[in-house]
Amino acid sequence: MGAQALVKPIVERAERPRPVAHRLVSVVVPVVERADDLQALYHAFAAELDSCGAAHEFLFVFDGGFTPPPEITELSRERDNVRVLRFARIFGETAALQLGIERSRGDVILTLPAYFQVKPEGLKPMLDRLGGGSDMVVASRSPRQDSWLNRLQSAAFHRMLSGITDRRFHDIACGVRLIRREVAEALPLYGDLHRFIPALALREGYVVEEVPVPQHPQNLRTRVYGPGVYARRLLDIAAFFFLAKFTEKPLRFFGLVGSLFFAAGAVASVFLLVARLGGEAIANRPLLLLAVLLLALGVQLMGLGLVGEIIVHLRAPHRRAYRVREQV
Amino acid sequence: MTARTTPETAAPDLSVVAPLYNESQNVRPLVDWILEALNGYSGSFEVILVDDGSRDDTWQQVAAAAADPRVHGLRLGRNVGQTAAMMAGFDHARGRAIVSLDGDLQNDPRDIPALLAKLDEGYDLVCGWRQQRQDKFLLRKVPSWVANRIIRRLTGVQITDNGCSLKAYRRDLLDRISLYAEQHRFIPALSASVGARITEMPVRHHARRFGESKYGISRTVKVLVDLFTLKMITTFRSRPLLGFGVAAMPLLGAAVVFAVMSAIAATQFAPLKAGALIFPGALLLTGAAAFYLVMLGLMAEVAVSSERGSTREIPTAWEVR
Repeated sequence: MGAQALVKPIVERAERPRPVAHRLVSVVVPVVERADDLQALYHAFAAELDSCGAAHEFLFVFDGGFTPPPEITELSRERDNVRVLRFARIFGETAALQLGIERSRGDVILTLPAYFQVKPEGLKPMLDRLGGGSDMVVASRSPRQDSWLNRLQSAAFHRMLSGITDRRFHDIACGVRLIRREVAEALPLYGDLHRFIPALALREGYVVEEVPVPQHPQNLRTRVYGPGVYARRLLDIAAFFFLAKFTEKPLRFFGLVGSLFFAAGAVASVFLLVARLGGEAIANRPLLLLAVLLLALGVQLMGLGLVGEIIVHLRAPHRRAYRVREQV
Repeated sequence: MTARTTPETAAPDLSVVAPLYNESQNVRPLVDWILEALNGYSGSFEVILVDDGSRDDTWQQVAAAAADPRVHGLRLGRNVGQTAAMMAGFDHARGRAIVSLDGDLQNDPRDIPALLAKLDEGYDLVCGWRQQRQDKFLLRKVPSWVANRIIRRLTGVQITDNGCSLKAYRRDLLDRISLYAEQHRFIPALSASVGARITEMPVRHHARRFGESKYGISRTVKVLVDLFTLKMITTFRSRPLLGFGVAAMPLLGAAVVFAVMSAIAATQFAPLKAGALIFPGALLLTGAAAFYLVMLGLMAEVAVSSERGSTREIPTAWEVR
C-alpha cells in the first residue's frame, strides 16, 4: 500500500497509552462534512454510556475547515475524558477515524457521526452483543423512517455492494460501529474506505454483526447530493470491488479486459488480411487503424496486469491472506 | 515472517499439515490414521490441522483432537482457500521437515515415511504421484491430465501430478517461497524457480469416504491464466525490463512494417489523400504501444528494486562435501 503515505496525514506519533484492562469505550467522533449540536450529542451519548455502566472517553476529531465550537473546547478543559483533535487541512473521514483510533485508549472503540444518526438507546444492545464474542458490531438503522429518496439511494448503494461483500449488509453506511481495539487497529483503512469498514473487517476474517437500532428523528431529512458526490461513491465501490476481488491476482482482471480488446483487434486484423489477400487495398481503410489500436490497447492492459502481478509477488512474503482466529 | 510460537529447541523433527474445509466427519479418522502411520517414526513430530473457516463443526472436532499434545489446531477467520490455509499451516509448522496432505482421507498417511526417506536422499521437495486415482474420470481426471501436461511443458518441471497435496518439504525451501492466490498447484514450479531439488514418488490414493469434493471443472481456465502469470513471473521477476522488452519486439516489428508501407504510400499516392494517412497512423500507434511497454518494464524494475535485499532473492543451494 504505497499510496498510504500520501493519504494519511502526518501527525506526530504520541506514545501509545497501554490499553486499559477493563472496558473503556472510546467514542471517536469524526467531525467531517456535517455537524449538529455536538454538545447535545455528547451529553446524550455520554448519559447513555453512563447508564450502561461503561467508562468512556470522547475524542472529537475536527477535519480542516471545522473550528471546534467553544462549548466543546470548554468541555475538554473541564473533563479529562473529552479530547479535541484538529487537522490543519481537510483529510476526510477515514483519516479522522484513524487518528481517533490511534489516540484513543479504550479497549472498545465506538465510532459516532457528528450528528444524531441513531437514538442513544441503541447503544446498550450493541454493547451487549460485543460482549457476546463479536469483533465488531455495526448499527443498522431500523426501521428506516426517512424519506423514500434516502432509502432509494441506500438501496441502490447496497445493491451494488451485495455482489462484492461475502455477506449482505443492511446499512453499511451507518457511522455507528463498536469495534474491539485490536480489530480497529488491524483494519487496512486508507483513502475513502471508511464506508466499507464492516465489509473490510469481514474480509479480514473478523466476526461482524449487525444490530437494528432505532433511527434518530433528526436523521430523517432528505439528502440529495451533487453529481460529484455520486460519482465519487461509484468510484469508491469500484475501488472496493477491485480490492476485494483482485488484489491477489490483478492479471485476472486486466488480462480479461485486455484479452477482450486483443481478441477484437485480432478479428479485425484477420478480416483485413483476408481482404488484402483477396486483392483489396487496405491502405485506405480506417479499420486498419482500429485493429491496430485494439491490439495495442490489449497488450498494454495485459502488461499493466503483469506489473500488478509482479508487485503482488514481491509483497507476498510480507502479507498473509489468512488470519488465525483460534489456536489449540 | 514465519510465526514460530515456541523456542527453536522445542521444535519437532516433522510437521504434518492438513487443511480442512467442512470435513467434520473426516477429522477424527484422519488424525488417528496419521498417528498410527507415524507410530514407527523415530523423531518427534506434530500434526497441524488448519480449519479453513468451515461452516460445519469441523473446528469442534479439531479442538477435540487437539487434546493429544502432538496435535495442534488453527482456526482461520474466514474461508480463504486451500493455498492460504496451507500457508497458515506452514507458517506455524516448526519441523525441519514438513509434510502436507489433504484433509479428506484421499491421501494415505502411510506414505509419509517413504516420502521422508526420499527427502533424506537429498531432495528439498518430494511430490506424491497418485496411483490409480479414485476420482471422477471426466470431471477430475481428464482436466487434471491436460493441466499437468501444460504445466510440465510450460514450466519445464517434470512432475507428473502437480495437484497431489501429499508432498514433503524441507523447511529451508518453504522459507524461500510464498504461496498466495491459488498457487498450491504450482509448488513444484515455484520451488524449481528458487533452485530446489525436486523428485516425485508414487503414493496411494483412496476414494472419498465422507463429505464431498470442493472443486469443479470451472477452475481449469483460471489455472491456465495463473500458469501464464507464474511463467512470466518466474522467468522475469529479477529482470522485468527484459520481459517487457521482448513483448515490445513484435510491436516494434509492426511499427517498422508500417513505416515501410507509409513510405511506399507516400511515394505512390498523393501524400495528402486520406488513404495515405492510415499507415502513418498505424505506425504511430504500434510505436507508442512498444514505447509504453518499455516504460511499464521500467516501472516493474522500480517495483523489483524497491523490494531488493530480502533473502528470498537468493536461490537455495547445497554444499558439496
